[in-house]
Amino acid sequence: MITIAIAKGRMQDDALALLTRAGVRFNGYSSESRCLISADETGDYRAIFVKPADVPVYVEHGIADCGIVGRDVLLESEADVLLPLDLGIARCRLVVAGISPDEIKSKGMLRVATKYPLLTANYFGARGTPVEIIRLSGSVELAPSLGLCDVIVDLVETGRTLQENGLSVIDVITESTGRFVVNRASYQLKAESIGRLLNALERALSGVAA
Amino acid sequence: MHLSRIPAGMRYYVGDEARLRRKVEDTAMSVFDRWSYEEITTPSVDYYALFEQGMGVTEAQRSFRFTDQDGRLLTLRPDVTSSVARAAATLLSERPRPLRLCYAAPVFKQQSQSAAEWRRENTQLGCELIGDGDASADLEILLVAAEILDQLGLANSYCITINHVEIFNGLSEQFLLDASARENLRELIDNRAIPELNRYSNEVLRCNTFADLVHLKGKQEVIQAAQNLVSNSRSQAALLALSDLWQALGARGLSHSFEIDLGDVSSLDYYTGLSFKVFVDGAGARVGGGGRYDRLIANFGAAEPAIGFVLNLDGLTDVLARQVNQPEISQIDTDLKK
Repeated sequence: MITIAIAKGRMQDDALALLTRAGVRFNGYSSESRCLISADETGDYRAIFVKPADVPVYVEHGIADCGIVGRDVLLESEADVLLPLDLGIARCRLVVAGISPDEIKSKGMLRVATKYPLLTANYFGARGTPVEIIRLSGSVELAPSLGLCDVIVDLVETGRTLQENGLSVIDVITESTGRFVVNRASYQLKAESIGRLLNALERALSGVAA
Repeated sequence: MHLSRIPAGMRYYVGDEARLRRKVEDTAMSVFDRWSYEEITTPSVDYYALFEQGMGVTEAQRSFRFTDQDGRLLTLRPDVTSSVARAAATLLSERPRPLRLCYAAPVFKQQSQSAAEWRRENTQLGCELIGDGDASADLEILLVAAEILDQLGLANSYCITINHVEIFNGLSEQFLLDASARENLRELIDNRAIPELNRYSNEVLRCNTFADLVHLKGKQEVIQAAQNLVSNSRSQAALLALSDLWQALGARGLSHSFEIDLGDVSSLDYYTGLSFKVFVDGAGARVGGGGRYDRLIANFGAAEPAIGFVLNLDGLTDVLARQVNQPEISQIDTDLKK
């Protein structure tokens, strides 16, 4: 049996739709249900639904053989997992945003609020800008107007939340899409089943029905 | 701080677990003994510079470090091979070759490479075959590893993936890759990051040879496919060596436990020929690995060929302990099937 860890939230529905197109149907599962685990019709697969940041954890430990999670989460976690497919779902950008573009200019020390402390440190580190990183776990867009920070580093899909909080994009750090990740040991020990799933997903991505 | 607290990545073994762990160690050591490997005990504390030479800076930096009375940097050994290589070139230089040496020794790393390798103390069961550069030495090392796993009752639940680093090296020479392009490609292949690899192949390299390496994984058929892919003599020679090795493993009825994986390019700077990794059902990370390291011993004296491997005693014990405690299907799967 192959266990797939799926990031709850933003990309969950897209991920399940894609799996269905690839012939892996978790019919017993509905997003309203509190059940966090579901088996498919064939019994060849089971899905577990966990917080995005926990997907790389489950996969790296081999508790899940593979997973579906955003590239942003993978980069932040530095997880040692294989990255064979870009699913192209839940496309978004990781950006620096603030009240005005001037915020990042000529400051001896920039205060940055973010859910991505590692990526933030790397980005400003590469530019030689000293930063104080303020780690938040949600509603990051509020922080600049309340004076907690000068700018934020956060994920942006449509840009509406930024706008509504009086912020605009100052720079794009990177793009992110849903990635299919595989545990290094499962890739070898369950080579055949993983290979089959990868092929089915690839066909589904190129529009061929399963 | 409470005295009851234990540092991260450290643990006790007691009772059944300790007995099981001892049994695994004894099994490995008795297989080494049957193959005429002599036990060697190396210093637990050694100069940091030794490991910088022996493992490379990045790996050595993960070790615990402290200073000697004269200010020189010491470390708790993060690896045994470096020290064995030094002994081969110095203390044991007069001994007849080949040298066959084995050990069961703890190694220490203060930073783990991945979240799945949370331990900071691991006992390595390892052996080194020094002074023999023949293909028969490559085969011997793989057979020793396979025999230990068989003896542990893991005959049908392990997979050893083999590769030859000169296949990649020949290609990077052929395509005149500079150091940064080579490292970039190596990392993309090692992570099987196929979308990025395809992009890099189309936009920068304008060829698909490296991207194709990722898909060359499997049994005998991989050799055939790879022969159509590589045209330079360096890669071809390596492929031929790998092919011969595969035949020899097949002749011993071992092809079901081995896989060729040309996408395994994780330690290209350390290994010089065969490289391999050991995976066991139930372990989320590899439980061992090894390969040929013909350049290492020259750091300490006269150059000579060498090959070896380690198995992770703690990783193996974990897998075997779980097999005992958790027969077949867990409760959660039983519930799902209702």
